[in-house]
Amino acid sequence: MRTMPSPLWGAKIRRSIAMGWHDPTTLIGVLLLVTFLWLILAPVISILTDMFFVQMGDARRVGAETGAFTFYYLDRILLSPMAGFLFWGPLRETVINAALSMMIAMILGSGLAWLLYRTDMWGRAWFSTALIVPYMLPSWTFALAWTTVFKNRTIGGQPGWAEAAGLSPPDWLAYGQVPVIVIMTLTYIPLVLLLVGNGLRRIDAQLEDCARVLGASHGTVARRIVIPLLRPALLSAAVLIFADAIGEFAVPYVLGLPVQYEVLSTSLFRAISSRQTGAAAVFAGAIMLIGIMSICLDLYLMREARRFVTIGGKGAMDRTRRLGRWRAAATGVAGTFFVLGVVLPLTVLFISTITYIPGRLNIENFTLDYWIGRDLDTIALRNGILFTPELWQAAWNSVSIVGLASLASGLLGLLVGYVVSRTSWPLLGAALRQLAFMPYMVPGIAFAAAYLSLFAVARGPVPPLYGTIWILMLALIADQMPFASRSGIAAMAQLGRDPEEAARVAGAGWWKRMFRIIGPIQRTALVIGVLMPFVSGIKGVSLFIILATPSTDVLTTYSLRLIDYNYTQAANAVVLIIALIAWGGTFLVQKLTRTGLGDGLGG
Amino acid sequence: MPTITLDHISKSYGPGPAAVRDVSLQVAAGDFMCLLGPSGCGKTTILRLLAGLEHLTTGALHVGDRVVDSPEAGVFIPPERRRLGLVFQSYALWPHMSVAGNVAFGLQVQRMPKAEIATRVARVMQTLGIAQYADRYPSQLSGGQQQRVALARMLAVNPDVLLLDEPLSNLDATLRLEMRTELRRIHQEFGTTIVFVTHDQWEAMTLATTIAVMKDGALQQTGTPDDIYARPTNSFVARFIGNPPINMIDAASPLGQRLAGQNAIQAAIVGIRPEAVTLTQSGLPARVLSIMPTGGSWLIDLALDADRLLLSTQTRPNLHNGQSVGCAIAPQDIHLFDIHGTRLPQPALTGSTVPQSIPMRQTQEDLL
Repeated sequence: MRTMPSPLWGAKIRRSIAMGWHDPTTLIGVLLLVTFLWLILAPVISILTDMFFVQMGDARRVGAETGAFTFYYLDRILLSPMAGFLFWGPLRETVINAALSMMIAMILGSGLAWLLYRTDMWGRAWFSTALIVPYMLPSWTFALAWTTVFKNRTIGGQPGWAEAAGLSPPDWLAYGQVPVIVIMTLTYIPLVLLLVGNGLRRIDAQLEDCARVLGASHGTVARRIVIPLLRPALLSAAVLIFADAIGEFAVPYVLGLPVQYEVLSTSLFRAISSRQTGAAAVFAGAIMLIGIMSICLDLYLMREARRFVTIGGKGAMDRTRRLGRWRAAATGVAGTFFVLGVVLPLTVLFISTITYIPGRLNIENFTLDYWIGRDLDTIALRNGILFTPELWQAAWNSVSIVGLASLASGLLGLLVGYVVSRTSWPLLGAALRQLAFMPYMVPGIAFAAAYLSLFAVARGPVPPLYGTIWILMLALIADQMPFASRSGIAAMAQLGRDPEEAARVAGAGWWKRMFRIIGPIQRTALVIGVLMPFVSGIKGVSLFIILATPSTDVLTTYSLRLIDYNYTQAANAVVLIIALIAWGGTFLVQKLTRTGLGDGLGG
Repeated sequence: MPTITLDHISKSYGPGPAAVRDVSLQVAAGDFMCLLGPSGCGKTTILRLLAGLEHLTTGALHVGDRVVDSPEAGVFIPPERRRLGLVFQSYALWPHMSVAGNVAFGLQVQRMPKAEIATRVARVMQTLGIAQYADRYPSQLSGGQQQRVALARMLAVNPDVLLLDEPLSNLDATLRLEMRTELRRIHQEFGTTIVFVTHDQWEAMTLATTIAVMKDGALQQTGTPDDIYARPTNSFVARFIGNPPINMIDAASPLGQRLAGQNAIQAAIVGIRPEAVTLTQSGLPARVLSIMPTGGSWLIDLALDADRLLLSTQTRPNLHNGQSVGCAIAPQDIHLFDIHGTRLPQPALTGSTVPQSIPMRQTQEDLL
């Protein structure tokens, strides 16, 4: 007798379709997976392969057909007599900058965190928000403020304040490594403050109480309990800062250009601007490699740290140390940081936008022309910046591109969270989580180069996207996925399945469940998942500098263009506008979450 | 071993009602004292004050003849110099140290020679049955094992007094029973004075030699477990101790008036423990509303006209719902409280209104 599998098979398929129709989790998961493979993995693979194949226009130099396999680029950048100048020098500078600014920021930031959270210094509540402000500003705000003060005769254009006052700052103070490290340190201190401060607050007070009951002094408690418990937070902060510093572009670009001071990110930019695609691929690969190694180290450290998970408990012994006569001094230190990190740079930038000649503070020298003037005596930019249509075009581009991209990544992030927490295929969940997290390991400038490599030419059904806003939009979405997916996964994991299953039992279909149950519950999570990337996108430079063209200028690239053409006042004005938007956005996030930035960063 | 004296102590955190209000209490050497009360009654605050983790607002704390905290005298001995042991509700084990490291910490702080630390740590871990986990980390232990490590850590330094903050509340029922036996054993073996905070009356009754009942930061009653059960000083203590809870009858109701007897004028509430009610043929007429088995004993809900009375018995009742029965209460089992909830003297045994309520055992046998 023959077996009859057909009715059984048919029933199985019918059943699967019916189940997929009513619970499309797996379908959504597969779609997301395909999207991420295209938006995240493909560009990275594309640029990594670029370095092994002869690029357009290089055929004669390499001595092989375009598209042939070659080690020419690796050989030239890493091994040739030029390699020291092209690669190893910038690599050394990159690592020194990142390591030094990380270490100084760790020391100063930890000290400040201790003052803020464990002493009776004056104005601690105020300082705990005020000292975070530099984190909300684009890092090159400080670079511009620095040049406004220290710019010397080495390059043309308007001189800096020091020069105007008759002092001639030497090149090492005006440009290059020293200011780059100082400024990067300044911008990383708030991050250390947030991460270490969070760690300090999260340590269960009972762990310290208990040691004191057993006879340990303040010093012993700090040495044997607090610092060992903080170690994971400290190490993680160090690695994150190092990884971020490797990819820093704008600060070395603004401060290094005049003296040909190169780091890997500026070398990459130079290679791309001069259309050396193969060389750019090598630089991008190097930056990615350092980034990936740092993040892997961080993941390893975090796994080690999981052993340290503690049950939170009550216990509210006053953990603050009385500073006695040092109280005023401590407050002074914190105040100094606020002045150096916030007041001074912003004041300098603002004053520079309302003076004709930098550094001269007599009344005739002040003007509002650079903001609202008309028919100025300049070659281009004949109106004040607020009357310049390019500014409004750039502002509109910034807000619309970054806004739409953030909205898209926020929604995608929630969907990732939905699939990861619901799917019955652990592999699908794991793959989505890892892929969405990948851009985190790739510094923005390298990621942008990867996008250029994949999307500059037509590939299959996708037309060349360079010069359109789509390449910016897609790159931004991909770049924001790590944060968006993490917050989406956290939100969905917290919610659990019950509310949705209850709705299902009550007869609600998938769309109804999404719009009536999941959507409203996750409203706040979505708002945060959109706003946080929006803020970092608005002040970000690295993606745009590579992918934007004059027709798709955003505020950041517009202001860098103004710097290149020496319109200092206008450039500074644009930076102030960016700072204002970024600060407003962060402020909004804090108001909405009531938890403060620190908690968003901790996870 | 010193006596601990709490001399009119108060603690307040800024404006609003104080967390601890004018508490005076003595913990004798070798005592197992239980601070019992609902959550938020200030019992944990008292423990933290004893340990020195909080500062007194007024009053004085003595350990032996040493003043350890007194705002009036300007004395405050910090926690690290009080020689007390405190076991936290969350155990507060240091996650970055091994079990042995946790237990050894207190001795290391005292700068004890290494060899001696090793022997003492080994001995105390042996006693508590955690010697095999010496090299593990706290997160690799179960709740019960963590609890033992927390205890061992404090016992290792051989404190004069051991303070325990709800140490059993994070354990499951079986472990709780086991640890309760363990605590009794430790108390006997080490002879340590123990002050134990709990909201669980069953825990307090089974463990303590003395119970101090607290409410809203104020001490309600101190006494032996039997004493507190048999002679609650006010209606709060009467209600808080006992499971199933005491019957509270309005003294103005027919049943209340009858039970209160001559004291009916001052009495506002009449309290009757469920197990003090017995069934008789001829006592107060009642009707059975429902019978609830609780495994090993039975609760019977009785209606006496408009009043309700819960009865608890160890014998299987041979009754059905709606059946008419009689019930009786011994005069010494009647608790009277005035309008402020304060205990009144028990009604006199003599008098014409009472004889009916004397239990009649022989007839009860027929009914049950």
